[in-house]
Order: sequence, then C-alpha cells, then structure tokens
Amino acid sequence: MKDQNLQPQNSIRGWHWAILAALVLVVLLVPIPAGATAPTERTLHIEASRFEYNPAILKVNPGDKVTIELVATDVVHGLSIDGYNLEAIADPGKTARITFIANRQGSFRFHCTTTCGNLHPFMIGKLEVGRNTWLLRAIGLVGMALFAGAWKGRK
Amino acid sequence: MTRLQDTLWVDEIAPGSKVGRSSKRYSIPSRVNLYRIPWLHALLESRWPQFLVRALTLIGFVFTITTALFGSRVGSHNFAIIMVWIAWWTTLKLGFIPFGGRSWCSICPIPLPGDWLQNGGILVKSERKRGLNLRWPKSLRGSWLQSSGFLLIGLFSAVTLTDPHVTGWVLLALFTLAIGMSLVFEHRAFCSYICPIGGFSGIYAKSAPVEVRVVDKEICAKHGDKSCYQACPWGLYPLAMKDSSACGLCMECLRACPKDNLALNLRPYGSDLGRPPTSSRLDESWLALIMLGSALAFSAVFTGPWGWLKSSAFEIGSQAWLAYAAGFLVLNVLFLPALFTLCVWSWKKISHNSSPLRRLIVSQAQGLLPLGLMAWIAFTISFAFPKLNLVLGVLNDPFGWGWHLLNAASSSNSLDVSGFSPYLQVALLLVGVFWSASVTRKLTGSDGTHNSFPNIPVLAFYLVYSIVMVWLLVG
Amino acid sequence: MIKEWLARGVIILGLVMMISIPAVNKWQQSQGVVMHARMAETGGWTPENLTAAVGKPLHLRLTSDDVTHGFAVGQLDQPAVDINPGEMTDITLVFTKPGKYTFYCTRWCSVNHWRMRGTIEVTDPLVRTEPARPPLYVTLGLNIDADHKASLTPAQMPSAWRGALLNQTVPEAYKSHNYYLSHTPVDLWLALRSEPSFDKLTDQDVWDLVAWIWQSNTSQEEVQAGKQLFTANCAACHGENGAGNGVFADQLAAGSGNAVTKQSMGEQTQKPVNFTDAPRMLSASPAHLQGKLIRGGMGTGMPSWGAIFTEDQTWALVAYLWTFQFQMEVNP
Repeated sequence: MKDQNLQPQNSIRGWHWAILAALVLVVLLVPIPAGATAPTERTLHIEASRFEYNPAILKVNPGDKVTIELVATDVVHGLSIDGYNLEAIADPGKTARITFIANRQGSFRFHCTTTCGNLHPFMIGKLEVGRNTWLLRAIGLVGMALFAGAWKGRK
Repeated sequence: MTRLQDTLWVDEIAPGSKVGRSSKRYSIPSRVNLYRIPWLHALLESRWPQFLVRALTLIGFVFTITTALFGSRVGSHNFAIIMVWIAWWTTLKLGFIPFGGRSWCSICPIPLPGDWLQNGGILVKSERKRGLNLRWPKSLRGSWLQSSGFLLIGLFSAVTLTDPHVTGWVLLALFTLAIGMSLVFEHRAFCSYICPIGGFSGIYAKSAPVEVRVVDKEICAKHGDKSCYQACPWGLYPLAMKDSSACGLCMECLRACPKDNLALNLRPYGSDLGRPPTSSRLDESWLALIMLGSALAFSAVFTGPWGWLKSSAFEIGSQAWLAYAAGFLVLNVLFLPALFTLCVWSWKKISHNSSPLRRLIVSQAQGLLPLGLMAWIAFTISFAFPKLNLVLGVLNDPFGWGWHLLNAASSSNSLDVSGFSPYLQVALLLVGVFWSASVTRKLTGSDGTHNSFPNIPVLAFYLVYSIVMVWLLVG
Repeated sequence: MIKEWLARGVIILGLVMMISIPAVNKWQQSQGVVMHARMAETGGWTPENLTAAVGKPLHLRLTSDDVTHGFAVGQLDQPAVDINPGEMTDITLVFTKPGKYTFYCTRWCSVNHWRMRGTIEVTDPLVRTEPARPPLYVTLGLNIDADHKASLTPAQMPSAWRGALLNQTVPEAYKSHNYYLSHTPVDLWLALRSEPSFDKLTDQDVWDLVAWIWQSNTSQEEVQAGKQLFTANCAACHGENGAGNGVFADQLAAGSGNAVTKQSMGEQTQKPVNFTDAPRMLSASPAHLQGKLIRGGMGTGMPSWGAIFTEDQTWALVAYLWTFQFQMEVNP
C-alpha cells in the first residue's frame, strides 16, 4: 500500500536531497570576504560594575593587538574571553590590563570570573572580531531548512 | 481532554477527510512495544523499582529545600540553585522531554505525599480514595493556569534562579500546594492543571517518541471493568487517549490491566502533532507561543550582553522591573499571539479557506511545537552548559560550609563551550525549523478541506523567529 | 503489609538522614567561630566582636555571603586571606600582645568597604598594658583640620635628582629626620631661600633642593611599600594617579552624597583629596598627613587607619604621597 507509493518517488527524492546537500555545502563553505581592514593596536577601556560591562560589545579587526583595561567600579570583577583563554581580575582602584592578538574571527562572549553578587553568572559581554561569518551562514542555513521542511511536508 | 467524563465514544472526523487509520493501527511496525521486552516488563510490573527511584528523588528534593533554606546564600555554591536550575533543568530539556515526553512526571517527587495520602499507603492501591475528591472546576481546566504560572516564574526568574532562599520557598510552596490539592481534589490536580513543568512537558510530549496506548481496542470493548481507569492517578482512560499530553507515564495502567493490553510504545517523532484533528485546544496554542516567546526573552536577558536588561529583570519592584515585566507580558500575551493569529488569518484569506479561524489557529499552532522544543534546548545549552562544572562543586560541598564530600576543589569559573556550542545550537534550530515547516505543511490539508496552499505567513513567522534566536545565541 | 512498612521505612530513613546530617554538622560548626562576611551595607562582619587570649590560638572559619572579601588584622603580622563567596577559609590567629585589635576587609567590596571592621579583644592577665603614645601631630600640636594653602608653588614639578646634581651643601638642621617630619615643603623652601649661600640659585632650583632633601628622608623600599598600600587601600577613592578621581569619587562628592552613609551614619561625605594639588600638599607636613591617615576624616568619608596600619606603614604611605608632588626616582 504505502510502499508502492514510495518506489517511483525514491529516485526523485534522491535528486532533491542531493541538491539540498550541495546547497548546504555552498552556504557552509563559501568564503565570505572579511573586509579590507589592516590589523592595528587598540586599547579598550572597560568599566565593570554589578552586573554589566561598559562597553559590553567590543568590535575589533582580525589580527588586532588588543589591550583591555579593566576598571572595577564597585567590587572585584573579572573578565575572561571564551575561546581566547584569557583572564583579568580588577579590584576597585587597580586597573587590570591584558594584551592579546585577536587572531580568531567571530563572536566571542566574555564574562566575569569572580563572584560579584547574585547575577554574576550572567555578567556577560561580547567581543566581535571581524565579521561573524558563522551567523551569516547560519541564517542562510535557516532559510534552507525552512524551505526543505516545507518541501518535505507537502503531500 | 481524554477523561472518561469528556470522552466521545466515536472519533469525530471532519467531513471530506480521508479515513486512513484503522482501529488496529498499533500492529503496524511504526510502533515498538517496549513492554514486551522481558526485563523491562519485569522492571515496570513490580512497583519497587519505580518506587525506589521516586524515593531517591523525594529525598533529594527535601535535601534540596534544606540546602536552599540553610545553606550558603551564594547561588553558585548552593546545591539547590545548581542542581535545580542547571543540572535538573538540563536533564529535563535535553533528556526527559525530547526523548521521553512527559517522562519526568513518572519520577517526580512533588505529588508523592499527596498520592500516598489519597491511597492510604505507599504501595497500596485502594479503590476508595481519601480526601475530599472534588472534581476540578470545568472553567479552570486546560493548561491556562500552567501557562500563567510559567509566565509568573519568568517575571521573577532573575531572582529565583540566583537566590537560594527564594528557590527554597518556591519549592516548598509548590510541594505544600501539591499535597493540599491532593487532599481536596481528585487525582493529580496539581500536576494536571497547576504545575508549569507539566504544562510544557505535556505539549512537547505530543512530539516525543514514547507513548502509552492500548494494543487492541476490541479487547477493551469486551472488557467491562475499566481497571486501567481505576488505576490511573491522572484520571485518564487509556482507551480514549487521543494524544500523550496528559499522560504522566506512571505505568499504573500497564500494571493494572488484566488482559496485558496496554503498551509502552516507541514511536516516530511528532506522532501526536495535529492530533486530535478537531481539537479546540486554544490553551495549547497559547502555551506553544509562550514557550517561543520566553525562549526569546530569556536568551536576551540571561545570555545577552545587555546589562541594563538584566538589572531591570533583577530589581524587582523598581520602575525598570515594571517596564521589563510589562514588556515580557506584552510579548507573550499580546504580541506573539496577535502576530501568529494575523499570520493564520492572512493565510486563511489568501487560500480562501472556509474553516473557522479558531480551528485553523489551533491546528497550525501544532507546528510551533518542534521549533519551541529545539529553541529551548538551544537556549539551555547557552544557559546551563558553561555552568555544569559547578555541579561537582555543590556535590562536594552542598551547603557551602566547607565540606569535602568528594575531595574536589571548587571553582567559580565557567566552562568554555565556545568551541562547539555555536554549531550545536544552530544545528538544533535547523532541526526545529525543518521539522516545524514540515509539520505545518502537512497540517495545511488536515482540517478536511482539499486546499493545500502552503502557509507562507506562518512559515515566515518561523523564519523571522529562528533568525532572531540564532542572532541572540550566536550573533 | 511488610512491603508497605518497608517502603515507609525507606522514605523515613532517607528523610531523617537528609535532615540530621546537616543539622549535626551545623551544631558542630557552632562550637568554633564561623565568621560571615557581607558588604557593609548588608551587615558587614558577623560576629563583629571577638575575644581571645594571648598565646591561645584563635581558629576562625571565614565565608562570604555575597562578594569577594578579605580578612586581615591590623597591627598583627599575619598575611591577609581572601574570603571567597560560598567557600570556607580557615585561619588561625595567635596574639603575643594584649590589646584591642581591629580586623578589616582587604578586598574592595563596595564604597563602604573600609567600614567593614570588627574588633578582637585580646587579654592577658599577666601583662600590664602599656599606655599608647600619642601620634606625632598631637605632640606637635597641629590642627590637621585647618585649611591650608601654599602661597607659593613651583613652576614645574621639582625633582630630587636635579636637586642632587646641584651639589649644594645644606645645613644639617634642614636634613634631619625630625625637621622632615614636622615641617612643610614650603617651610623648607622659605628657609633655604633665605640662606645666603643659595642666593645664586633660581626659585626652581631651590624647589629641587627641597625635593632632594625630602627624598633623602625616605628610601626606595619605603616608597614601594607605600605604593602597594596605596593601590590596595586608597586608589579606589583617590584614584590610581592620586588625583581624587577614583571609581568611588563621584559617590563620595558632597551634594550627590552617598545615600547609604547619609542615612545610616549621618555623614556628609566629600570628594576625595587630590594629591596632585600643589597648593594643598606643599603646605602640609608629613606629620600632618600621617595624622589625617591615622585619625580619619571625621565624617568626610576618609577612613581612620590608626588601628589598621603599623606606624611604619603610615610613614611609608606618606613617603609615597610625596611622589605626586616631587619626582623621587633615583635616576631620571
């Protein structure tokens, strides 16, 4: 009954999935131009308070030599960047400095590393190094998934 | 619902739709009856294994309340905060619900004392129930209260999730309420109508791969006794179950059936979506939308870089908090339902669909479930994974009193999940989008009309929502 | 029925264990001293007052209920320990001299961090307590609250090495430590200016001499020690560059006022002193500065450090403060 319906459609379905797979690979692998920006040296001054960083969203170019000056304005705060394995801890009155080279492109969260109160686990900021290519690819993939799902669901 | 009192003895089928299901559908291979596996049968048949697991969860629950009320006030070092909001929440969202539907309910400790009081014993199953056994008021049925409870918790979540005292009092209040309700109302009134966890576990159970159903309806038709209904603490009648959203997988009916005619089935994902076809469960639709809205809101508040948003969520009673509360409620009570209704309405107009709008909304809202499930799993990864290392710390020193139960050192640093989490989260959302789009497409013809114009507005709704979620999580 | 009682037994046993183990442990803990640290606004130290006896070790278990704190005892040679939220830190104190010791928080935990203090009363029945010596400013009869403003200031920052290069012979009276302690830089400048042997020097040269003489009264180690104390205790209000613009300066400024201190302590706090302000600093003597340090600001928000720092530490801080007015490096 149902099996018979599947047979002639199998070959058509095979084509469809192959096209889909190819498109997925394209979206995943197509190189996205990074934009011509030469790496520079930057110093970013961040004030940490309970429970936010100011500024919380940092934008640098790939390859920049970044120095972060962390100033704690009320209690001891820390700053650690995911994916970069760095940590700075600042007491009020003592600016902490870390320097690193932003060689990894993308969007990285940084967060506080010394318990500074109730919302400490959610004290989060964002470091954007260059363009967030994964976000762009993900949006492309979402569109494709939507289309593929709607295609699959039709009777 | 599927209660004996509300059951229609004949499946209501809309005119013109294809009648494709036979009464013996569970004999075809899309269901695997786990109850036939000998060792599993033995484990489930005896009430001891499940009892022991539930005893553990009950003792753990009481211990959790103790640590919450008497332990350190630092959330990250308190057993209650970490085990409830990180460990248990993760197992719920990544394990119990996607793989077992409403399976947490089968081992949840909260209704236990109430059950025992109603039955007059732990392993006793008596016919005569103690307590007032009142029927739950008809006007309060459905998941409206559960959804409201979930929104209420959401308003205070910044404090509840971080202050052990508040968590302790909330858990104690829920525990006491459940026991109290068991003495007044029949069956598991708390679990069915109040518990917010039960609310969303229930709707996602419709897409989960596990179910309890009757094997052969003919046998039931000849069986006059209805022992399964007598055994069910949820007040369900298995023969009449149209979907899995109300079943807590407690296995009592499997044990009670003298004909061994009940099955614990493995089934394909999404089997109950869109069922029953003539459901008028607007409350389910609203809950599905609330889950989407709250995933969005919590992603922004808890995992986003906007400190002003977190502070306004945290300072309860302040003007900023009132603005946050208003925004949160408007998003979930007004904006998303209105937007979704608009999408369904415009599709109805474009495709000249003659079905009533309410039925179309309810039917199309089923497509929201896969996306909501996946969005919540993706959010949980951002929220909980970086803090999983704290679990070891609180197992070592639950109260923050300097214990060393496991001889482990404690650390308050987060785990760096940036290596895999962005990819995993996007993959989950892609699954959700694909699945939801596919379900929505399938549902466009299910109301009985021949019109199958694709629901572009609702698909656009999914697209916009998913892009916003992706941006919040990995942007 | 046996099964039923067995099941009930399991539940009861489990619950009893879960509740009694913490209860017993809590009771055991109360036999020692558990010190809870909280931000000053929400309670500070609990308990706030302890007693001890000379020679008998005092065991403390320290924990924080909110943010990172630290623990140290003033005038006691014991390194500070950090108190981490949710964790227990054990410390043992041994006192050799009786008296009233002050313990205090060593990690900035709020604008009122310095108010987080408690006392330890240490007794010894055998030893008679010595009367405390009055601080130098009291002996000298200085009014450290009087307004003071230097009438003349250098055109550029004086530097000690330029003063050394001038290779002048300075009368011994001006080079003595006692002179340094009790006179202001302006006093010294006026005295040097009136010396006939220095007539050929410019005003700036004389300032350089003052800087050189000031520097000869301290040492690199002392200045370094002072710098560390300043960074840990003073920079949060006075600013890392001493300009009175630390992270808490705005909260302390009069008018905007610290709502908490105003209500609970009835004070009108002031903007922290700017140590780079020449008219103010050059008209103060080291004894004056040390007095301010020891006594505190009488409601201005400036803490009193007399119970916390040893005398050597206070002089080290004063030595460091002069580096905001004079270039005190050995080599340029």
